[in-house]
Amino acid sequence: MGFIPPLDRKLLRDLSRMKMQAAAVGAVLACGVTVFVMATGMYGSLLSARDGYYDSSRMADVAAGVVRAPDSLTRELAQLPGVRAVETRISGVGLLDLPGRNEPVSARLVSLPPDREPRVNGIVLREGRMPNPARDREVLVNEAFAEANRLAPGNRLGALIYGKRRDVEIVGIASSPEFVFAVAPGALLPEPERFGVVWMGREALGRAFDRDGAFNDVQIRLEPQANERAVIDSVDRLLARHGGRGAFGRDRMLSAQFLADELASLKTMASILPPFFLAVAIFLLNVSLSRLVATERANIGLLKSFGYGNFPIGFHYAKFALSFSILGALLGMAIGHWIGLVIADIYASVYRIPDLRFEAGPGVYLGALAVAAVAALAGATQAVIRAIRLPPAAALAPPAPTGFGRLGVMVESAAAKLDGKSRMVARRIARFPRRSATTVLGIALGMALLITSRHFPLSMDRIIEVTFGVAQRMDVMVSFSESADEAILRDVARLPGVLSVEPLRSSDVIFEAGSRRQRNSLIGVPPGAQLNRVLDENLDAVQPRGDGLTLSQLIAGKLDVQLGDKVRVQAADGHRATAELPVVAIVKPYLAASAYMELSALGRMLREPDRVTAAYLLLDRTQRDAFGARAKELPTIMAVSFLDNARESMRKLLEQGSGFFAGMFVVFSSLMAAGVAFSSARVTLAEQERDLATLRVLGFSRSEASYVLLAELGALLLMALPLGAVLGNVLSRWLMSQFQTELFVFPYVTSAAAYGESALFVATAVIAATLLVRRGVDRLDLVGVLKSRD
Amino acid sequence: MESPVFRLSGVHKQYGEGEAAVLALRGVDFTVESGELVVLLGPSGSGKSTLLNILGGLDRPTAGQALFRDLDLATAGDAEITHYRRHHVGFVFQFYNLIASLTARENVELVTEVADDPMPAEEALALVGLAARSGHFPAQLSGGEQQRVAIARAIAKRPTVLLCDEPTGALDVATGIRVIEAIIEANERLGTTTLLITHNADIAQVGDRVVRFADGAIRSIETNAQRRKPSELNW
Repeated sequence: MGFIPPLDRKLLRDLSRMKMQAAAVGAVLACGVTVFVMATGMYGSLLSARDGYYDSSRMADVAAGVVRAPDSLTRELAQLPGVRAVETRISGVGLLDLPGRNEPVSARLVSLPPDREPRVNGIVLREGRMPNPARDREVLVNEAFAEANRLAPGNRLGALIYGKRRDVEIVGIASSPEFVFAVAPGALLPEPERFGVVWMGREALGRAFDRDGAFNDVQIRLEPQANERAVIDSVDRLLARHGGRGAFGRDRMLSAQFLADELASLKTMASILPPFFLAVAIFLLNVSLSRLVATERANIGLLKSFGYGNFPIGFHYAKFALSFSILGALLGMAIGHWIGLVIADIYASVYRIPDLRFEAGPGVYLGALAVAAVAALAGATQAVIRAIRLPPAAALAPPAPTGFGRLGVMVESAAAKLDGKSRMVARRIARFPRRSATTVLGIALGMALLITSRHFPLSMDRIIEVTFGVAQRMDVMVSFSESADEAILRDVARLPGVLSVEPLRSSDVIFEAGSRRQRNSLIGVPPGAQLNRVLDENLDAVQPRGDGLTLSQLIAGKLDVQLGDKVRVQAADGHRATAELPVVAIVKPYLAASAYMELSALGRMLREPDRVTAAYLLLDRTQRDAFGARAKELPTIMAVSFLDNARESMRKLLEQGSGFFAGMFVVFSSLMAAGVAFSSARVTLAEQERDLATLRVLGFSRSEASYVLLAELGALLLMALPLGAVLGNVLSRWLMSQFQTELFVFPYVTSAAAYGESALFVATAVIAATLLVRRGVDRLDLVGVLKSRD
Repeated sequence: MESPVFRLSGVHKQYGEGEAAVLALRGVDFTVESGELVVLLGPSGSGKSTLLNILGGLDRPTAGQALFRDLDLATAGDAEITHYRRHHVGFVFQFYNLIASLTARENVELVTEVADDPMPAEEALALVGLAARSGHFPAQLSGGEQQRVAIARAIAKRPTVLLCDEPTGALDVATGIRVIEAIIEANERLGTTTLLITHNADIAQVGDRVVRFADGAIRSIETNAQRRKPSELNW
């Protein structure tokens, strides 16, 4: 060690002595760094994988549906300013007949150009080969669907289009940036077991959908600097004559929206969670280092008397903090990287984005180190300043006893009733209000984070429970191809097992309020709807009215409108009817922001009365198979979705993504609470060492002396618990609102257990840490402590 | 005549093992009679503090016998030792070791609360001349006053023995004399057997006997024909 300067040698030896404190600080900091590295790294990885995928596979920027447009229009579309590439194609939804499956399974059927790669929304072949254009029975299916249904090249299946069955053969498994998530019409979430994508030859699909020589779907890539809005308007103008359904950008492409949502959550997590852990690490560092400087008082005086300047002395103590932090940061980086790899695997299996792997660049790791170093210095500042300001003579002289005063008449008369040991505790807490407050705050913050972490699973459960129990009370939803005449409801009612039918109409519209514009679905709900209800915040049913719009809070926010404000509504398709309607209610659904109106009023407004797009059914469960078999035969039904399946998919999706993070959050918050508990106990023992030794020498037993330590921490714990509960409440509400996305609103749902269990955990951690540290009382070197100056 | 308070025979104390072993006491034989004031004199490291710690139940001999009346301090259990300290021993250290969060009276009461037959805290403080300062916190007292509070705290339980380890080490002459006076006061008024460690040969003159230590062993034991008064000391 000859080459190491003496102060650093002291540092190394002191550090090995302080390893328990280093572990507590390091663990908390590691949690923060882990979340930072994982979330920032995953955000970057997902972003670049998505952008790379979108770019290499030519993801559409703008899409539009149209009833029937001649192929010749393709050239005109391609010549629009700002358009880089156009693919016109046939696309529609049909039912599939899978061998051995009674339940109807549906798929989006998409045409492939006969002689080339699609210009937009390229196909990535994962297995097998591309269909032979000469053989119109050959198809590709998407990877998630193939895996969920164990389909492989060579398998055959039946496609029911407009009630006509076509037998097709799978020759390849593929993925496409357009269908990172494939969501059935009317459904809220992907269900790969029951909804897939089938790519097949243009000619065959054209015949099936009766669109020979025409297309009903346009996919457009834009030039880098193109004005999306201008292109959308031009496309709408060109398609208007042919029954254009309104063009839209990626913000209305469900798959792209899911990905954008996930990215937003990661970004939120990377920016919001680490600061909490860092704040607590700073607190722990502050406490540990202040104590260290206090015990090293004489050493500091000695060093100063030898001629050491303020900088080397200050830096010496800052190095303690830096060492703790760098250890924590390295650990956090390693764990963050490892969790990143695990999450990337989960993402890769859910999203099927090629080349999705966890790759946090050096910037992320350097950033983590920098953040840890800043936290270290922030935590060390107070102690370093104290070390620098200590006059050498005063440091070398025996320290004066800490000045205590009386606590005021009221408190003192209460204190007079206490025994001596309890009075010591009360006066110590009152004498150092800032230190007591930091300990209380540290424990409370640990508890608050723990409470918050427990709210995510509660919130997710509530989303599922409310969406699939209180709002949606049907057994099955059937979606019709295009908006169908109400007469279809009679056919549906006659299907086996159907007990009750409730219609619904969903139309894409463009809302405008002032300069704000928002494309969304407007849903028509019949009066007295029972099977799919719109709910207000108290979960009471709200009846959408005919004379105005019922908006979700998210849409109202985007349009910046309040109750009573007027919104201009234009249908995206059909007659492109327009109307100006007041906002008559604002609701807060947990899933998929929507707008609602009374069904028949919506029909009148759209100038297409008596039409429906879907129906909710109550079903006699014993007739489920028979219902499924007959539903496939109704030509207008293009998708059938059972509520129990949807609920299961939802649970799976939430558990895969948010569930993992929620679990991680619980573990980290627990670690943090334990770290704070241990550190506080440790420092309190160090501060009380001399008093405890005195009590022992005066003839108090170990347990009597330990009382002083236990009572102080117990009193601080009792103060921290209610504060932790309040902070936890505020933090939970705030974090839930921060994680709100286009598709999900995380409601603040609470349970006594979230608070009770968190309080119990924190209390147990503090008590366990105190008891662990209390053993120090047994090991006190009475003579050593009492003969030292302090 | 009362039986001796302490009887020590062949007391050894070794710290550490093997090459690092340090022999702090090398066979000490010594008896202390009830009510005596014994001064332990000797250079640093001569073993006097080790002996005092063993007598006070803060440390244990590695060999030999150290009896407080019938209690063998070498083999007594932890509870017995705690009981011994609580009811029979008063300690005074060089650095006072008062509880900073308690006033002078409360520091004394800490002991009187748990003792069997204590004197009132005020009386103990009056004995050391600090009745008027009883409501002050340690930070509000001078070094000498703090040491006298420590003495009051040590004697308030009417201990059988008062063990003082360099009680004047951190004090100036005048203050030191006041502290010694307080110790002698307790010894004479309460009959407390007192052992007093000091470096200072002058202070040795206030004791009944002076035990000189060197290299972990007793070199000589002298009896003072006449105890001098602290006010006559000059060091």
